[in-house]
Amino acid sequence: MNYISDGFFQGLGLIFSMDDEVWTAVITTLKLTGLSMGATLAVGVPMGFILGYFSFPGKKTVRIAVDTLLSIPTVVVGLLVYAFISNRGPFGGYGLLFSLPGMAIGQSVLALPIVAALTASAVENVDDRLRLTLLTLGAGGRRLALSTLWESRHQILMAAVTAYGRITSEVGVSMMIGGNIKWRTRTVTTAITLETGKGEFSTGIALGVMLLLLSFILNWSLSALRRRTAS
Amino acid sequence: MTASTPLYEIENLVCSYGAEPVLQIGELAIPAEGVTAFVGHNGSGKSTLLKAMAFLLKPVSGTIRFRGENTENKEGRLRKETPLLLQDPYLLKRSVFENIAYGLRARGDTVNLRGRVEEALEMVGLPPEFGKREWYMLSGGESRRVALASRLVLRTPVLLLDEPTANVDEENALLMARVIKEAGEKWGTVSLVASHDTQWLEGLASRRISMRRGRIENITC
Repeated sequence: MNYISDGFFQGLGLIFSMDDEVWTAVITTLKLTGLSMGATLAVGVPMGFILGYFSFPGKKTVRIAVDTLLSIPTVVVGLLVYAFISNRGPFGGYGLLFSLPGMAIGQSVLALPIVAALTASAVENVDDRLRLTLLTLGAGGRRLALSTLWESRHQILMAAVTAYGRITSEVGVSMMIGGNIKWRTRTVTTAITLETGKGEFSTGIALGVMLLLLSFILNWSLSALRRRTAS
Repeated sequence: MTASTPLYEIENLVCSYGAEPVLQIGELAIPAEGVTAFVGHNGSGKSTLLKAMAFLLKPVSGTIRFRGENTENKEGRLRKETPLLLQDPYLLKRSVFENIAYGLRARGDTVNLRGRVEEALEMVGLPPEFGKREWYMLSGGESRRVALASRLVLRTPVLLLDEPTANVDEENALLMARVIKEAGEKWGTVSLVASHDTQWLEGLASRRISMRRGRIENITC
């Protein structure tokens, strides 16, 4: 059992000594998730808003499809995106395979249903009095829609935090599309998988602690948001 | 519109939330002066009538003329002249200032915005600094005052109020009555109030319209 406690203390040592391998994986993860979240929010929030706010033929079917995609396995997303961006795929010429933008596409596909479904739910479930209040104060058309979106902002932020949690902790997409290339596409989760396989528990634990820290910050923000929304 | 043109002229109005009609009014004219009160028990149709007059509820059939004008397909514009204070007012998730300024911004009317918001705050007995508070920092009574200020600031010809004294203390109820009178004196705003509180309406309403089961029972001046 000593190797666990030894690994933990050695792991903390690697963090505080600013070990290059650990910190490069952390920075790669932050860069990648930033890119993924940017793309996800840019597409997912408008998509979710349209789904929650407007009525159109086939809306229920689209909603069921989006909800089904919430539980899509990461390796399936990895496989699909791999097929599209590998040399033989339709987007093979863009050199996206084994690159951060390629991994970001995969993670965005993974996070998109989360943001879209939760945004749609947020907009659908706004207080009934909101619409009456906005209308009676003179809002209409675009202002009515944008104000409804703005009033749902806390729930949309929660959707973003939930999606961020999903992509930070995934391994499948990063491993399949990124290839776990040291100093380039190795993220915290793929590094943990590799280091654990090699029996290098200290590095794995150091990375795990960083991931937990990231998760703690996310959940703390989420609970602060929940408190504010409930008030 | 002439001086004698009624504010609202309602004919054969039917409103419903499902299959059953909840409001059926044969004929009703509301003059463009003073305060008109709608009284009646729960379910008598007061709130539904106010929503229809605020152009927030599309009638199943019948017509509503506003200041002599046919209102069909003009709801968007007419809503800007007929703000309704809901029975349980909703505050936008923004500061008090932004809540009050919202209607003016929606009209593109932002000249002296701060001054007008502060004037509305003062009318409802709140200091100008109150504008900085966020929506979640307010008590129930304060929320209601802010909601009222957000309608007053618009200086509309009509103000519709649905049970403005429900769940408020005596001080706030007296303030509501004072503000309704003040808006009438200052800007000629005609107020239409739905209320259970017959005692509160005394000395405030110039005419009472009693309602029962979605119909008008009698009108007293």
